Amino acid sequence: MIATLLRGVLAGAILSGTLLLYATLGEVITERAGIVNLGLEGILLIGAAVAFAVASVTGSAYLGVLVAAVAGGIAALIFGYLVVSRKANQLASGLAMMFFGTGVSALVGKSYVGAVIEGLPKIRVPWLSSLPWVRGSTLFNWDILVYLAIPMAALAWWLLFRTRWGLGVRAVGENPIAAFASGRRPQLLQYQALFVGGLFGGVAGAHLSVSLTRTWNEGMTAGRGFIAIALVIFSKWHPLRAIAGALVFGGAEALQLQLQARGTQVSPFLLDMFPYLLTLAVLLAWGGARRSAAPAGLGRTFVGIE
Amino acid sequence: MKNPNLIVVFLVLAALVSLSPAYAQDKPALIVGAIYIGSVNDYGYNRSMKDGLEEMKANIPGLKLIEAENVPETAECERVMENMIQQGAKLIFPTSFGHMDFALNVARRHRDVFFYHPGGYKVEQNFGNFYGKTQTAWFPIGIAAGRMTKTNKIGFVVGQPIGYALGNVNAFQLGARSVNPKVQTIVVVTNSWSDKAKEAAAANALLDQGCDILTMHVDSPAVIIQAAESRGAMSIGFQSIESRRLAPKGWITGLGFTWGKFMTEVAKSVINGTFKPGFVRQGIDEGMMAVAPFGPSVPADVQKQVLDAVDKLAKGFNPFTGPIKDNEGIVRIKEGEVWGNDKMGNFDWYAEGIVGKAK
Repeated sequence: MIATLLRGVLAGAILSGTLLLYATLGEVITERAGIVNLGLEGILLIGAAVAFAVASVTGSAYLGVLVAAVAGGIAALIFGYLVVSRKANQLASGLAMMFFGTGVSALVGKSYVGAVIEGLPKIRVPWLSSLPWVRGSTLFNWDILVYLAIPMAALAWWLLFRTRWGLGVRAVGENPIAAFASGRRPQLLQYQALFVGGLFGGVAGAHLSVSLTRTWNEGMTAGRGFIAIALVIFSKWHPLRAIAGALVFGGAEALQLQLQARGTQVSPFLLDMFPYLLTLAVLLAWGGARRSAAPAGLGRTFVGIE
Repeated sequence: MKNPNLIVVFLVLAALVSLSPAYAQDKPALIVGAIYIGSVNDYGYNRSMKDGLEEMKANIPGLKLIEAENVPETAECERVMENMIQQGAKLIFPTSFGHMDFALNVARRHRDVFFYHPGGYKVEQNFGNFYGKTQTAWFPIGIAAGRMTKTNKIGFVVGQPIGYALGNVNAFQLGARSVNPKVQTIVVVTNSWSDKAKEAAAANALLDQGCDILTMHVDSPAVIIQAAESRGAMSIGFQSIESRRLAPKGWITGLGFTWGKFMTEVAKSVINGTFKPGFVRQGIDEGMMAVAPFGPSVPADVQKQVLDAVDKLAKGFNPFTGPIKDNEGIVRIKEGEVWGNDKMGNFDWYAEGIVGKAK
């Protein structure tokens, strides 16, 4: 019986965690360039609405994911114009971006509410999916975005820590003036990091609407963009640690639902608090080490030396 | 958090429309206003309201319908209704539970405009209240599930565990158990009427634990029905009978609201000047609720058994007739006791055979 519970929690953690991982990776890249994007929730919503609309019109969920990624990137560039070129306050602009995303996604999604789409096709792993323990669950029978999630985290790590571009992005995030003095172009790098982060955010939203739920509903991300921002702190701005974070938080939601489904004699109200208690516990445990891990220039505006 | 931007856009558009020379047209027989909490394309509650209003419109020639979707349960909705009254609305359906108090404020300011609100409990001279006899209507649906399940485990996703929702689950289990003593109904609560990602996760959790039928009490059944269908499980819908289109293979049946007949009567009473504010509760036999068409896999004898139970309800049978035990063995409805319409919000326990904790 414990095996069924474990299997359920694992399966649920992977399904709910995929969206969180993509969103967290996007925010990690953005924050490494020194920009906090509190508008991530809005970007997720834009991604979800656009992916669903495109999938509904063209019949191709894959095309929906691609267009959603680009839409997320463009939304992040709009935010970038505010905070990089116009040097507006990042936190206030981020919140404005969230409301902008909520409104735009509602407008885009309006005529597609109730549309029925095919959704991302499931791809079964031949041998693994027929193991006795796995059979009857969603394990190893995922859509493409689930399979790509961990490789994408590795890609983000490689981009940030093994390429010249990543070195530049991190330098800008730590100290834009020093980066500028060493011949980098801080504003260009910030725009690039925002765009790449936006791509990830758009894909995260797309996974919610064209795979997990196959539906569009106003405000359907229900705060998951903000959980992803907390996960960035949890993962200490590191893409690979974000994998663990996404699984733990996805698992927390899955665990409380699985416990209910197994008839555990615990109040559902108490179980519902579990993911949030975990968030508090994590922030408590990680609190001390936080300052050293955060990019030193995070949230500060580079005024430039024109 | 519903989006306020759309409301602003709506108000601006509405203002433009009211400025345009609409008065050149023939005066309509009656202008009816309706506000919805969500989108009418949700295959759920809002869709059922929309279908009812359209039926009313088709029944009464010259009736004009003004609608607004995504109207939040805040003071914002008063402004939307005021605007409808300025456009000449004489009858308003504020269709969400939380619109009640705001609609009542508007009703007190305009005693010449009539209101019928679903699901609430307040009645005044120009403000009536109506709803389906939902709880008892779940009994025949439970019979269908009890006959169709092979694993004897049925999953029930509940949004908010309020008394009325628990009553739905209880009647469902009583129905299922009446034909299959081994059946268990497993409840998973999401603590939201509309958190789509959590509904998908809840559906997956129930399927992982071996349920072969899923049903639900949330705003829109779409996510849960599609999750069941994609994993080869069966499903039972709720709110709008149209949700069957989402599960061509696994659909068993569903319980839906069919408001059209009642709304037509109310609109006619406003036209004739005979409006009566009532506290109306109607069941399947009176046409306010309907059992959805059966899916292709449901055998004829199961269909007959379900429809026989519907007949029994029409003849006065009440599934909440004692003795009824809860899932901890405590007798909750004593021998000879019957829980009527006035007690449907009082459930804070799950009936025998339900896996779940109410408090």
